[in-house]
Amino acid sequence: MQQCNRSQKIAICTVGLPARGKTYISRKLNRYFNWLGYKSRVFINGNYRREICGTECNSQFFDPQNEEAQKARSDCAKMALQDLIQFLQNGGDVGILDGTNITKERRHQIENDLKSSFNGIQTLWIESICNDSKVIQNNIRLTKINNPDYCNVNPEQATIDFLNRIKMYEQIYQTITDDENLSYIKTMNVGADIIVHQVYGFLLSKIVSFIMNLHTYPRPIYLSRHGESQYNVDDRVGGDSDLSELGEMYAEKLADFFYSEFPTKEIKNQIIFFTSTMRRAVHTSDVVAQKLEIQPLQLKTLDEINVGICDGMTYTEIAQKFPNDFQERKINKLGYRYPRGESYLDLISRIEPVIFEIERSRQPVMIIAHQAILRCLYAYFHQNEIPEVPTLDIPLHCVIKLTPAAYFCDEKRVLINPQTGEISIKEEYVQEFVRSKSKQKSFIDL
Amino acid sequence: MQQYKKTQYKLILVLVGLPARGKTHISYKLNRYLNWIGYKSEIFSIKGAQQKDAQLDQNIDYELEIDPTNQQFIEVRQQLSFQAAQQLVTFLQNEGDIALYNGLTSTKSDRQKLKSLFKEKLNLEFQVFWIESICDDPQVILNNINESKLSRFKEKTIDQFTNQIKVLAQDYQTLENTENISYIKLINIGKQVKVHMLEGYLCSKIVSFLLNLHANNRQIYLVRSCESEYHLLDKIGGDPELSAMGKQHSQQIGNYFIEELKGNKNITFFTSQMKRGIQTAEIVGDKLGIKALKTKNLDEIDYGICDGLTLKEIAAKYPKQIKERKANPLEFKYPRGESFLDVIHRVEPIIYEIERSRDPVLVVAHVAVLKCLYAYYHCNQISEIPNIDIPINCVIKLVPIPYHCLESRVIIK
Repeated sequence: MQQCNRSQKIAICTVGLPARGKTYISRKLNRYFNWLGYKSRVFINGNYRREICGTECNSQFFDPQNEEAQKARSDCAKMALQDLIQFLQNGGDVGILDGTNITKERRHQIENDLKSSFNGIQTLWIESICNDSKVIQNNIRLTKINNPDYCNVNPEQATIDFLNRIKMYEQIYQTITDDENLSYIKTMNVGADIIVHQVYGFLLSKIVSFIMNLHTYPRPIYLSRHGESQYNVDDRVGGDSDLSELGEMYAEKLADFFYSEFPTKEIKNQIIFFTSTMRRAVHTSDVVAQKLEIQPLQLKTLDEINVGICDGMTYTEIAQKFPNDFQERKINKLGYRYPRGESYLDLISRIEPVIFEIERSRQPVMIIAHQAILRCLYAYFHQNEIPEVPTLDIPLHCVIKLTPAAYFCDEKRVLINPQTGEISIKEEYVQEFVRSKSKQKSFIDL
Repeated sequence: MQQYKKTQYKLILVLVGLPARGKTHISYKLNRYLNWIGYKSEIFSIKGAQQKDAQLDQNIDYELEIDPTNQQFIEVRQQLSFQAAQQLVTFLQNEGDIALYNGLTSTKSDRQKLKSLFKEKLNLEFQVFWIESICDDPQVILNNINESKLSRFKEKTIDQFTNQIKVLAQDYQTLENTENISYIKLINIGKQVKVHMLEGYLCSKIVSFLLNLHANNRQIYLVRSCESEYHLLDKIGGDPELSAMGKQHSQQIGNYFIEELKGNKNITFFTSQMKRGIQTAEIVGDKLGIKALKTKNLDEIDYGICDGLTLKEIAAKYPKQIKERKANPLEFKYPRGESFLDVIHRVEPIIYEIERSRDPVLVVAHVAVLKCLYAYYHCNQISEIPNIDIPINCVIKLVPIPYHCLESRVIIK
């Protein structure tokens, strides 16, 4: 529900020792807000520090007794905060400050600066606590070793240095206490325990639910369109047509593919399988379901975009009958709403509960749905910009396997020939860090 | 209901907390919500067990007889608590999906006994989620007693009751992680919330729901969009504009609210994205100086292939559908359209918003959608939904209070 309370500015600040998942949470939240239509941005203390103090900072730089370094770090943190405030003043809705913020003094200062910059700003503090050394080691391995701070250092040395850095922070760490009078969420050991304190408001409540469902299990998400339908053959939009002969063949081959993907009964029973309530999707899903001996859940939420009065027409017919609408849609495919129908923005809003469900799941997820719907789902996990959504390539007869990891999303496309069953695989690997290195100097967000 | 995961396991929600902490209130609200979204859910409490036990003196309210010195009452309460647990097991073994338990759970040993009972007697997969309500604000506790207990006291005074609670508090053991249970602690009505080992789709939903609860008894106004051009033609569906009469009526509704809301501008105001909804809301909103939030979730039920037809035309063209609809009005889905169940699902985020709001709420929407919203507050079974009466030019005012919902209707002439 993007429409609620656009006038409220929100500042979210993270708290926690290094390698506790603060950046992960910040980015996930940022993604979620941008997805819902809010202007949101992450401001990473660490990036400011890297730009200004250089990346060759070993753990001594983080010694709380190192006064010079302390001052430099404090200045960098102030800059990050100033940029966040400016962002909110210039039309931003949500600013996320990603930093350790582990002392009461620092938090008090930030809270005051934020509250005095805006009337009615809502602040939320998110503290991530973790005592599980396995989780921490894993975090370090997955995200820090490739960090620009350690590009000239071998992984073993990097880990040792990083653990020393954490020790420096531990010396002065003060967990959030109630007397600081902050609205906060504490998440402990990747969500095993969560404490919510004085969090009120529409968006903030949503954040709580969202955080409660976050995890870092790398589970695969399979997206596939239904097999070719009668309307696909006739090039018509909308309708509730059934599969064409080719589509039926695809359903069979798709079932075969999934059968080989999930070898054991145990894995099969844990799959989360969603489809829509439209014939072409249900039909495709039933074939797969029968082969795997599992049951799909038919969600109306996954039904194809409602094309209103254009239902059943070809694009040529639409161009003839509704030339103005046809033009409008060409200019603004994202926001254009079919009369008595929906727009892509409506779709994005509509599938939010499904996004939540997928985020929450720690088991493989399989979704058989429709082009527009899958464009939206794909864009969320693949972190595409919203305006790209209506033009993303989601072809028929192709399974897209997404495996979201900490800072990027792994993608594999499996094109299945419905007649021969021949499979051709395209591996597309998108590395966020690699992408950002080639970008211009930008320490605002990755 | 295919829409929601028919959970593979049964769910037991156990309430924990000293008397006058809102456990019963929470259980009523949760139970209402769960039934509304399509689960078969029921509450099992000392009170409920007492009502089912013919041998007991029904004039004594055993739920309130917490005097720790009265051995006889203690024994009866223990017995009733046990009976309630057994009735719960029977319910889940048969048709129940979710059961809420509001019995004796204040000590670790009570809870251990309960867990063992469930393990022993239930021979299907189940999950237990514990909900503890903690309150140390004496004003809140006093309010609670006044609102929900006072009328049931026969000879007791409030002071006696609070003193008895104080004695019970000495033996009370709050939930701890060492008990290896999955729980949520609500502290001072949501000022602070602690969640431990949250697992599963349903529990996540329940936690989200509980986060929004509060104790403000604020009014909720439900209003239909006024007369539209389609009304005059007797057509259903469509996206028509208001008729001239409709605009007049909207003005009058606005006037009604000016008096009713007395200048309060902190109103949570929603309408749909349909022309008649937006127009009605604009006219009313202008009078009050507030703007409505437009959400597609409140759009009227999608009539599919019957959209834009008159009832006569539908009867002529689709007699089979009319028959189906008569047989099962709740689950009937208009071909290429929606059923009431779809509308409930669609409207759920709005219910969250209404629950969360501590200000008065004003909703301008349409018949089917309002039926679903109304049912959430008023009906015990969603099968009643198709028969709910939501007349036009009528403001329905709902005030949810502990255990009930007050209602008044004002026809605007």
